[in-house]
Amino acid sequence: MTTPAIQMRGIEKVYPDGVKALDNVDFEALKGEIHGLLGENGAGKTTLMRILYGEIKPTRGEIIVSGEKTSFHGPWDAIRKGIGMVYQRFALVPTFTVAENLHLSYLSIKPQASMSESLDRAKQIMSETGLNFPFDAVVEDLPVGLQQRVEIVKALSRNARILILDEPTSVLTPIEVRELFKALRKLRDNGITIIFITHKLKEVIELADRITVLRKGKKVGALVNDNINPGILAEMMIGKSIKEIGEKRRSIGRKTLLKVEGLTVYDEHGIIKVDNLSFEIHSGEILGVAGVQGNGQRELADTIAGISNPSKGKILLGNKDITGLPPGERYKLGLGYIPESRGIGLIFDMSITENSMLTNLHLILSKGRRIQWSRAREISGEIVEELGVKTPSLDALVKYLSGGNQQKVMVGREIVREPDVIIVAEPTQGLDISAAGFIHSTLLELRNQGKGILLISSDLDEIYELSDRIAVMYEGKFIGTGTPEELTRDKIGVLMGGVRT
Amino acid sequence: MSITSLVDYLKARKTEYITGAMEVTLSAITGFFIAGIILQSMGYNALSIFNIMITGGVSDLSHLAGKSAPLVMTGLAFSIPLMAGVFNIGGESQLYMGALAGLVGTYYSGNILIGLVLGFLAGAFWGWLMAALRVYRGINEVITAIMLNWTAYYFIIYLIIKYLPNPEKPYMSIQLPQSEMLSMNTTFLLSVLGALAAYYIIYYTDLGYKMRVSGFNPKTAQYSGFDPSKSILFSMALGGGLAGFGGALLVIGVSSGIDTTMTSLYGLGFTGIGVGLLGRNHPIGIIFSSLFFADLIIGGQWVELETGAPPYVSDTIIGIIVIALSAPYAYKKLVELYRLRRR
Repeated sequence: MTTPAIQMRGIEKVYPDGVKALDNVDFEALKGEIHGLLGENGAGKTTLMRILYGEIKPTRGEIIVSGEKTSFHGPWDAIRKGIGMVYQRFALVPTFTVAENLHLSYLSIKPQASMSESLDRAKQIMSETGLNFPFDAVVEDLPVGLQQRVEIVKALSRNARILILDEPTSVLTPIEVRELFKALRKLRDNGITIIFITHKLKEVIELADRITVLRKGKKVGALVNDNINPGILAEMMIGKSIKEIGEKRRSIGRKTLLKVEGLTVYDEHGIIKVDNLSFEIHSGEILGVAGVQGNGQRELADTIAGISNPSKGKILLGNKDITGLPPGERYKLGLGYIPESRGIGLIFDMSITENSMLTNLHLILSKGRRIQWSRAREISGEIVEELGVKTPSLDALVKYLSGGNQQKVMVGREIVREPDVIIVAEPTQGLDISAAGFIHSTLLELRNQGKGILLISSDLDEIYELSDRIAVMYEGKFIGTGTPEELTRDKIGVLMGGVRT
Repeated sequence: MSITSLVDYLKARKTEYITGAMEVTLSAITGFFIAGIILQSMGYNALSIFNIMITGGVSDLSHLAGKSAPLVMTGLAFSIPLMAGVFNIGGESQLYMGALAGLVGTYYSGNILIGLVLGFLAGAFWGWLMAALRVYRGINEVITAIMLNWTAYYFIIYLIIKYLPNPEKPYMSIQLPQSEMLSMNTTFLLSVLGALAAYYIIYYTDLGYKMRVSGFNPKTAQYSGFDPSKSILFSMALGGGLAGFGGALLVIGVSSGIDTTMTSLYGLGFTGIGVGLLGRNHPIGIIFSSLFFADLIIGGQWVELETGAPPYVSDTIIGIIVIALSAPYAYKKLVELYRLRRR
């Protein structure tokens, strides 16, 4: 057997804050293969590849390229060793033309090259791979699919023999994906090694020759892609169920609190994010939306809250059509929204009281639009007391609170006006177990009070613990729905990877 | 706010106030120390020059008041948009426009109030225009402001020479009669009222609150249902209006007209940037920092008179002290703003 193109042995990465991103990971890619690197968000896929690309240094472990032990000081070393990486966010100068970008990158390996030399090199690659694009177009005017081709050709023109692609299909339309796959197969046949980072089961099964699966910073296994059962892959990716499904659910109320009909949302690049989605939430019900992050969950939540606009569809809160209303009006009518990031839901440099006002401003303003600070302090005092926020004062800046207490302020702010429907996104991300437990029991209590809750979470344990019904979101659609009893972990895992059962 | 809640508030912010005070003290010491070394190496007696600079301005309080009034306004003109996350480098020309409108309005109506209101509106329009180019056309507000500053500069010189010439003094525009002018003390009082009004708008109205939220994070503003673009437009119109009001105060309180080289107006808007930063972006702080600035500027003129040192010496000293005092805060703000724009 020939020496592998890449061997990484015992790679460990501990960040300065003590987070262990990678734990004793071995990775091997052969010459001229497409190697799928599969895992959930935060499994360590990108970290591992950034180490290979010399962008971050491993805490421990060695890297062997074509049988030769190496250590990289930066990506430039990796580039010289023939490693190229294409990020999710492209590293092109948006205001330059394609030709200028190609020239710029070629100069890094051949400083004296002329423009025509750089372009000749690029043309040669283009004819070898069939990846075509216009040279004289300005990069920012090109569709993302073409920009990605420029990135790939750029890497190859720098003599890359090993090409790393980080979630390359996440920004592409289905037709572009097909074209990309065709080109990648051609590259493989020319002897290029391709490492394909993804969380999409369907794609690795379709494309990869071999697959390595990571979970929570550890390697779960590597296997040859030969009639693999998607269920087995999903289980490797997500893990066996740890918790039993919670106590018997209460019967779901009859009253429909939120109704979404045919909702369709595109992002700013024109990619469909929510695809003709319809569902209902009833009183006393938690609908858990599971799925890998980036499958339209955020856009769905933002659109229900009125922050993004749908291109089609209707949203009814109670019996009222709120589709065209701005967020402030929706909050006033009885909607709560706890966004996935505290960086968005809170202003760290403002006090607890000022943060309590963000979505409750209508309760605090007098008729003359004056801020009634005494009223504001009453409300923030209520939040601090109800949720047990640990703080010396209502005037303390939120940035000085712990993550758990910040989350409590945000959750408290959204429930203090007693909305009928609450959208909750990743409510316990980054929290310790006790803070997470408190947030969970708060949400269950709200459900028992008869509120309707839309819970969006990429944490399956959380979904199982809280949900009365589960929907799995994949590429803007609910690819499967059911009760927690019907949707077992294996089923959900397969659905999350985009495979219908 | 009641007294107990005020005490609570101060307690909660204790660390910020203490570090703030330490920062200012250290900056002042550093600034004076560096300036002192430069003065000594140039052959001047540093201590006596500092003495003249600091006491010089305080020797005539009404002169100090008149000098401070427009600076309070241009300081606010920089600080209010900064709260909304916008750099207002256009305070300079917003002040010009206000001065012109204040002059014309008062001169032709014979009513000071009309002049002041027109001054505010002219500055507000000019500030709004800069914001509108940013919001609706995506043009960086700093570039727009630099260009519009010169546009206003030459526009006003043209108007003065062509339509508002002074038959007695060829270098001057028409001038307000003494009966249509305010005392310098009154203009300062009006500027303090302006700062208090700004304080009220920023901290006691929904417009001010939305503006501050947008400045900290536009995404949070959108999430909360506030439109960050509206906040940018509002903050620039308000800041521009105040600068314009300052321009009108200057004409109505001190200069009575505008000279054809714009000497009486030039630089006040730019000084406002320093005033705003030194006042830590707070309307009340800005009142004090503009007094400090005015004191140094007047004192600098005394240095020239008493020691024969060229004006550049005192300008240099003012520059060093101001940079030392505002640098830590300006740095923090810049980093914040840079992080926001990168997202």
